[in-house]
Amino acid sequence: MRLHQAAGAGDQEYLTWAYQTHVTPIYQYVYSRVGNRPDAEDLTSQVFMKATSGMRTDVSVPQLRSWLYRVAQTTLTDHWREYYAEHTGALDEEVTRAPAARENAGAVQRVDSLLATLPDNYRRVLELRFLRGYSVRETARELNLSETNVKVLQFRALNRAGRERASTS
Amino acid sequence: MNDDPEQLDRHVDHLLRNRKPERMPLPDEDALGARQTAAMLRAARPGVGLPSKEFLERMQRLIKEWVGQESLPSLAAARPSRRALLLTGAAGIAAGVAAAVGIDRLRQPRAPGARMALVESGSWQSITALAELPESTPVAFRSGGIEGFLIRRGSQVSALSAVCTHMGCILNYSKLRDRFECPCHGATFRTDGQPSNQHETRLPALPALQVRIERGQVEVYTAF
Repeated sequence: MRLHQAAGAGDQEYLTWAYQTHVTPIYQYVYSRVGNRPDAEDLTSQVFMKATSGMRTDVSVPQLRSWLYRVAQTTLTDHWREYYAEHTGALDEEVTRAPAARENAGAVQRVDSLLATLPDNYRRVLELRFLRGYSVRETARELNLSETNVKVLQFRALNRAGRERASTS
Repeated sequence: MNDDPEQLDRHVDHLLRNRKPERMPLPDEDALGARQTAAMLRAARPGVGLPSKEFLERMQRLIKEWVGQESLPSLAAARPSRRALLLTGAAGIAAGVAAAVGIDRLRQPRAPGARMALVESGSWQSITALAELPESTPVAFRSGGIEGFLIRRGSQVSALSAVCTHMGCILNYSKLRDRFECPCHGATFRTDGQPSNQHETRLPALPALQVRIERGQVEVYTAF
């Protein structure tokens, strides 16, 4: 049984509105997991298509929201699994975690506290590349390193940060 | 294959330009963790990670359609707009996506409400003669807005929806591998309708359609 099955026109409008208000939060959530616009758009539409066709009856807005986040999590897991194969141990853990309603509000703080765990040179390279959008060449000039060294530093910093993230989540 | 700074930087570079990164198998969890961390850092830059106006408008429209289709299965079958979802323009998606919604409904308990009358106008459609069906080899059919497969085993005939439960593309049957295969994203299903490839374990099974044999003719119940 689906919510919309017995719905009158008024309910349908309400339901449409309830879904529509969640597009931006779900998009931001997905974006923070994939980090680029084409994937975020693609996956966000998949989430809503799945969610609108599999919705249960009698749901409140908070239930709708947590359902959307759950669909988003499984969609993301499938995405990583599909394109980057085998190593899904960390993903499974992510999926079983309860969806956070205020997911995006905490994102900046989480990044700050993650960066704070890193050695100075690691933190610096990630700040320049990601938060200030420097190219490898600009970063090399700023840090007085070769471009190859910037890439190596970035590689080590991301791997280290990834392990920090896994151990604190 | 090992991860290396050049390869990881190409991934980062794609993120910073808001492009889809290349797909490749990763050697270990560190490599995956590094990319997930890169995504998180990318999203933390102020002003990044908000949906574009065009995307929001498109989603508002799609959601309205999808919610509307749920309530009006018969009309939706005539207007298979779920294909609009495939933003990348993949080939192979076909009418009948919404028909699956109709089928689903037929199998659900009826709820009171005027809209249900649309479903009750469904009917049995003759598809083919029983004698025409080969043993154990699925035969595709299309009738009354429904895309499906008929499978005969001895004197028993079953019918399955041919709409992929991932994103609604129409499945093909591979005789070589004896399974249904999706041309869009590679999902596969066994001939009993269960999903069979590993990365798609979460996909629902293909819905069974109601089928009967009348005077040697195979008939399927459709939404029309």
